[in-house]
Amino acid sequence: MILSQSGPSLKELSRQLRLDLLDMIYQSGHGHIGGSLSALNPIIAVYFSPIFNFKKDHFVLSAGHLCPALYVVLAKAAYFPKDLLSSYSSFGSILQGHVSTQVPGVEYSSGSLGQGLSFAAGLALGDKSHTTICLTSDGEHNEGQIWEAAMFASKYKLGNLINIVDHNKYQIDGSTDQIMPTNDLAAKYIRFGWTVLTVNGDNINQVINTLKKAKNSNYPVCIIANTTYGKGISFMQYDFKYHSVDNLSQNLYLRARKEILNAK
Amino acid sequence: MPNKSLSIRQSFGDTLVKLARSNPQIYVVSADLKSSVKLSEFARKFPKRFIECGVAENNAAGVAAGLAHTGKTVFLASYSCFSPAINWATIKQSISYNHSNVKIIGSHSGLLSTALGSTHQMLEDIALMRSLPNMQVFSPADAYDTQKIITTIAASPLPAYVRLVRANTPLFTDPRTKFTIGIATILQQGKDITIIGHGPVLHQALTLQSSFSIEIINCPSIKPLDNETILKSVKKTGRLIVIEDHQKNGGLGEAIATMILESGLSPKFIHLAIDNRFGQSGHDPNQLYEHYGISSKNLLDAINKLSND
Repeated sequence: MILSQSGPSLKELSRQLRLDLLDMIYQSGHGHIGGSLSALNPIIAVYFSPIFNFKKDHFVLSAGHLCPALYVVLAKAAYFPKDLLSSYSSFGSILQGHVSTQVPGVEYSSGSLGQGLSFAAGLALGDKSHTTICLTSDGEHNEGQIWEAAMFASKYKLGNLINIVDHNKYQIDGSTDQIMPTNDLAAKYIRFGWTVLTVNGDNINQVINTLKKAKNSNYPVCIIANTTYGKGISFMQYDFKYHSVDNLSQNLYLRARKEILNAK
Repeated sequence: MPNKSLSIRQSFGDTLVKLARSNPQIYVVSADLKSSVKLSEFARKFPKRFIECGVAENNAAGVAAGLAHTGKTVFLASYSCFSPAINWATIKQSISYNHSNVKIIGSHSGLLSTALGSTHQMLEDIALMRSLPNMQVFSPADAYDTQKIITTIAASPLPAYVRLVRANTPLFTDPRTKFTIGIATILQQGKDITIIGHGPVLHQALTLQSSFSIEIINCPSIKPLDNETILKSVKKTGRLIVIEDHQKNGGLGEAIATMILESGLSPKFIHLAIDNRFGQSGHDPNQLYEHYGISSKNLLDAINKLSND
C-alpha cells in the first residue's frame, strides 16, 4: 500500500503502529517485542513507500518471530481487520506466534531461522520481473543456511533480491557480541558478491531512499539496517531479556505507552 | 518372471526429461549430484531449468520452495542421506508447512548403496518423511514403478518424497498397470500369508520356493497407504510379513501395524527390516540383506514361523 506521505506523517504512522504493536502484545499476554520494535521502521519503509507493489513484488519475513511488526503493518494496509491484532498467538487465530500464510498478504510461513533468504532467492530466480525483499535478523546470521543462500544469490546474479538485515545487535540470550559476533556483516556480504548499503534503520525516510537505490542493481543487495533493539521503549532498549515478554505488567505497559506517545 | 534389470535412478532421469519436453514448468534443483542421480541429460537439454546449488541441501530445499511459489513444479534431487536427512527442517517449514510444489527425490536409499557404507545407506528417510503433514511418500519397486510415480506426481501440486536406490534392480512389476496414489498392487494372489513390501527388496518374495499360498503386495504408496487392499488381504490370510530395506523404527511396517491394530484386526505379524543398526560396506547386496535380516532366507524363516503358530 502506498501512502506517499512526507517525513512527519511517516513518523506519526510509526508512532501509531508502535502503539498498536505494544497493545497487541500486552493484550495477547505474550510476544517477541525487542526485535519487532527494531524491525518495525524498516518494514514500514518497505510497505508504505511508493517503490513496491505487493500484488506483484514479494516480501519474505525470514525472522518469523518478528511478525508483530508485520501484523500491525498489514492491518494498517487493510489486509485484515485491525481488531484481529489482539488475538495474536491465541488459539484459533490466524495471527500465529510465528508468521504464517494464513494471514492475508503473507507469502511465506517462517519461524525456524535462516530459511527465508533461500526461499526469497527461489522467488527472485523464478520471478525475475519483480523484486523480492527479505527481512532477516542479525542473530539469524549464525545459521549456515544464510551463507549458502548468499553464495547462491551471487552465483545467479539475483539483482532483484534485497536482503534487509535488522541489525539490532541482540539475540535471544544476549548481545550478538557475546553469543556469536557478526563482526563486519557488510564486509562479509561484499566478499560473497553482494552490493551492500548501510543505513540508519530507525529512520524510515533513509530506509526508503536506500530501497530506491537497491531496486535497480545488477547484484543482490544487502541493506544493513542499523536499528535500536526495543526501539521507542527506554527500559526495553538494549536489554536482551525483552526478546519476548509474557504478561507485561500494567505499570510497565502504561509507562511504555506514555514513552511512545511523548516521543519526539 | 522377466530376468531383466534396470536402474531406478536412470528411469527417474529419463522420465523427467520426457516430462520436461512437454511441460515447461518442470525445474530441477540440484545439490552437486546431477550425474549420480541421472540428471545430466536434463541439465544439457534444459540448462535454464536446471538450478545448481552446490553442496548445500538446506539452501537447495529453500530455493526449490521459492521457485515452486512462482508456479514451477520443482524436483529437488540428491541422495536421501543428504536430502531429506540434512535439510529436514527446511523441508518441514519451507516445503511442507508452506505447501510448496516440490518433489524431493532421495536417491541411494537403503542397503543397496552397498560399497559406500553406512553414511550413505539411508535407512531412516521414510521415518523422517512419513512424519511430516502435507507430505506424500513413495518408494518404487523397480524402473517401471519409478516412471509411473514420477509421471503421476509431476501432474499434482502437492509435495512428495520419492525414495530411489543406486543399484540396477530387477524389473518385476507390470508396466501396463496404472499407478494411483494411495493404491497398492497385488503382485501374486494367495490365501495363507500376506507379504507386503516396498522397493527392490520385495522382489525376493517372488522367488521363494514355498508350499504355502502367498499373497504378495507391492506398496509403493507408503503415504497415503492403501488401507483397503491391505486389510482385505490380511483378513483373508491372518498372517502378515512386511519386508523393507529401512529401519524398523518409522518404516512401512510400523505404519501398517498401526493401521491394522486400529482397524480391530490382529494378524500374526513379522516385520523384516533393519533393527536399530547402522549399515556397512559390502559389494553383494544379498550378503548385506542376509546380515541385516531382510534376505529371502529370512522371508522363508518368517513364513515357516507364522505357519507353525
